[in-house]
Amino acid sequence: MGQTSRHGRGRFAVALCALACALTLLAPTAAFGLTTNKATARPNEDGGSSVIGGLPTRLTWEGTVDEGEEVSSVTLVLPEGSSFDGTTTKVTVLEGLSRAQLEGEVKPATQSLVVVFSKPATAGLLLRLEVEGVLFPSEGGDVVVRGTYVNQNGEQDLAESKPIATIANTPLQALLASLDANPVVEAWNSSPFLGMFFKPQLLVTAFATLIPGWLLCLLIVCIAYPFAIILGLIFALMKISRNRLIRAIAIIYVNVLRGTPLFLQIYIMFFGLPMMNINIDNNVLGVIVIAINASAYLAEIFRAGIESIPPGQYEAASSLGMGHMMTMVNIILPQTIRRVIPTVTSDFITSYKDTSLLSSVGVMELMMFAKNLTSVSGNMTPYVAAAIFYLIVTLPLIKGVTIIEKRMARSERGGGPRPKVKAKTAEGVTGDPAEKGAEPSLVEALSAPFRPATTDIAGMGGVADVQ
Amino acid sequence: MFNKANGSRGFGTEARHVPPALDATEAALQAHERDKTLTKHHFEPEEHPCVRIEHLMKTFDGETRVLTDVNLTVWPGEVVCVLGPSGSGKSTMLRCINLLETPTAGHILIEDHEITGPLPIKEVNKLRQNLGMVFQSFNLFPHLTAKGNVMIGQTKVLKKSKEEAEVEALKQLEAVGLLDRADFKPAQLSGGQQQRVAIARAVAMHPDILLFDEPTSALDPELVRGVLDVMRDLAENGGMTMIVVTHEMGFAREVADRVVFMEGGVVVEQGKPDDVFDHPQNERTAQFLGSIG
Repeated sequence: MGQTSRHGRGRFAVALCALACALTLLAPTAAFGLTTNKATARPNEDGGSSVIGGLPTRLTWEGTVDEGEEVSSVTLVLPEGSSFDGTTTKVTVLEGLSRAQLEGEVKPATQSLVVVFSKPATAGLLLRLEVEGVLFPSEGGDVVVRGTYVNQNGEQDLAESKPIATIANTPLQALLASLDANPVVEAWNSSPFLGMFFKPQLLVTAFATLIPGWLLCLLIVCIAYPFAIILGLIFALMKISRNRLIRAIAIIYVNVLRGTPLFLQIYIMFFGLPMMNINIDNNVLGVIVIAINASAYLAEIFRAGIESIPPGQYEAASSLGMGHMMTMVNIILPQTIRRVIPTVTSDFITSYKDTSLLSSVGVMELMMFAKNLTSVSGNMTPYVAAAIFYLIVTLPLIKGVTIIEKRMARSERGGGPRPKVKAKTAEGVTGDPAEKGAEPSLVEALSAPFRPATTDIAGMGGVADVQ
Repeated sequence: MFNKANGSRGFGTEARHVPPALDATEAALQAHERDKTLTKHHFEPEEHPCVRIEHLMKTFDGETRVLTDVNLTVWPGEVVCVLGPSGSGKSTMLRCINLLETPTAGHILIEDHEITGPLPIKEVNKLRQNLGMVFQSFNLFPHLTAKGNVMIGQTKVLKKSKEEAEVEALKQLEAVGLLDRADFKPAQLSGGQQQRVAIARAVAMHPDILLFDEPTSALDPELVRGVLDVMRDLAENGGMTMIVVTHEMGFAREVADRVVFMEGGVVVEQGKPDDVFDHPQNERTAQFLGSIG
C-alpha cells in the first residue's frame, strides 16, 4: 500500500488492511507486541497528491495487538518540527471487521499524542488513530512515526512506521493555504463569474504550473525567429530577383504559406512527417513550423521594406560605381532593416501567440498546461492565467513598437542625439583606434532605434548652414 | 520614323537611323572646329573631348520622346552649364551620360570609349567610378554619417583601407566646409550641408568628370550660396571637368566656360556665357532668359 493513501477507497482500504493484519499475524513479529501496520497522511496539496509540511493534514496510524498482549495506551511521537493539534482525534478499535467496544481517551502534547484506552486492548484488535491537524516539519522530507505503548509488562517501544514522504512548505503553498482560509477570497469565489474566471487560488497555482509552458513558448519562438528572418530575407531577395524562375519559386512559397492556416501547416508537419518515417522531436518540429510560417510573412515585410527605399539611393550607389550586390548589402539592407523593425516586431508578436496552436499536437507549451489545469480543476482561471502570460510578453512589445516608430519618425526629421561639434584636422584623426569607422554594422543598424534619445527640441528642424 | 515597340535597351531597329560614331581623331577635329568659338576653354593641341554625345535619342516606354537629337562635346577641364526649361531633357541627357538612363539611340563616348550599346555591368560600374554625380535631392545614405557617406565609395568600390578613406573623407569634408559635421547623420544636416556632403562624396572618388543635376533646385534660397561656392571652387581651383544642369544664371555666367541651352530634346544654342546671355541668337533662348532674368 502506498504511503500516501487516497480518499474514496475506504472499503478497499479496509479490506487491504484486513489482509495486512492477517499477514502480520502470520509473520513472526516477536520483537513487538503491538505491530505498526501503517502510518499515512492525507494529501493536503491543492490540486495535487503530495503531503506538504507545515500545513495541517490528517495522520492515520494503525496497529494490531499481537497474541498475548494487552495494550492499555499508545503514544505516538513525531519528529522534531512536527506538532499535533490533537483537537479531533478519532480512535477506532476494530475486531475483525466490526467495531470493538473500546474507548480511547486522547491526550495531545506538542510533539506526541497519548491515547489511553478505557480497558486494555486485547490480541487481534486493530487500533486505528486518525489525528486531524497534524503539522509535519515545513522543510519536508521523510517522516517516520515512532512511539511507545504500554502493555501488561509496562512501557514498550513501537515499531517505526514506514516513512511518510512530505514535501517542503513553499511560499506558494503557504499562500494557497492562507487564501483558502481567507473569508474575502471565499466571498470572491462565491460570485459565479469571479469564481469561475478569477479564482485566486487557481490563479496562484496556474502561475506556478504554467511557467514551464510559457518558457517553452518563448524558447520556440526565440529559436524559430532568427531562422525565420534569414529565410524571409532570402525569399524577399528571391522575390525581387530578375530571374523569373527564382521569382516564381519565391512567390509560390510565400503565397502558399500565407494562404493556408498555420493550424493546417502544423497538422501536415506533425502528422505527415511521422507517416514518412521522419520522426523529429515535437519541440524541434514546432520550431521548424513556426520558423517556416513566419518566414513567409517576413519575406513580404522585407520585400516591401526594400521596395520602400527611394530609387535615388540606388542611383547614388550606382553613381559611385557600386554593383547590385554591393548596393544591397551596404546601402539598401541596412536602411531596410531599420524601417522594418516595427513591422517585424508585430510579426514576432503574432508568431509568439501562434505557438498556442502547437498545443493541438501535444507540444507542452502554455496553452497545453492551461488546458490540463482547467480540465483538472473544472475552472476557467488557468486560461486567464495563460492570457496574462501571453500579455506579459506582448504588451511591452506593442509599447516598444510604438516607441520605436515615434523615435524613427523623429530621427527622420533630424531629431535624436547628435554628436558633439568639434573642429578637428584631417591629420588629427588618422589611425585613431577609438574613431568609429563608417562601416554600417548590422548591430548598429539594429540598435539605432533603441538607443536613448536626448531631449533635443532645438535641433529638431536641422541646423542652419554654416556660412 | 522611330520604332515605338523598341523599349529601354534598344539598339536594334532604331540604331540604324543613326550614323555610326565618328572616328576619334576625325571627331576631335570636327568638334574643335565647332567649339573653338563657343567656349572659353583653352584648347591643347590635338586635344580630344572627354565626353562626346552624338545624335543621342531617348524615349520612355517607347512613346515619350525626351531627347530627340543631342550633340555635345565636353573638353577636359571644361565647365559646361546646361540651361533650359523643365522638360527640355537636360537631366535625362545628364543621366544618360552615366547610364542611369539607357539611351534609346545614338552614341555617347567617354574619352573616345563608346558606352552606348550593351555593356557588361562590370564595365558600367567601372565607367561610373569616373563619373561623379550630384543629385537634385542629394541622395545621401541616411544610415551613414557625413563621413561614412564620403568613405563608403572609397572603401567598397576603390577598395581603399578605412584609414586611407577616412583621411580622404575628412579632407573632402574640410574642402566643403563641413569638417565639424563629419559625424552627423544626413537628417541632422540642412539641405545645403547635405548637398555639400554629396559633392564631397562624389569628389572623393576622384572622378574625371562631375555631373551636377540641378544641385541647388531643392534648396532654400539662403542655402544655395554655400553649395555654389563649393562648386565654383571645384571649377576654378580643382580644374574639374563639370557638366552642370542648373537654373542658376548667375553661376552659369560667372563660372561656366560654355553655356548650353536645351529645349525639346535638342541643344538649341550654345556658346560662351556672355554671348549667350547678352546676345542670344535663338528666339527661344532669348525668351527663356528674358522670362528668368
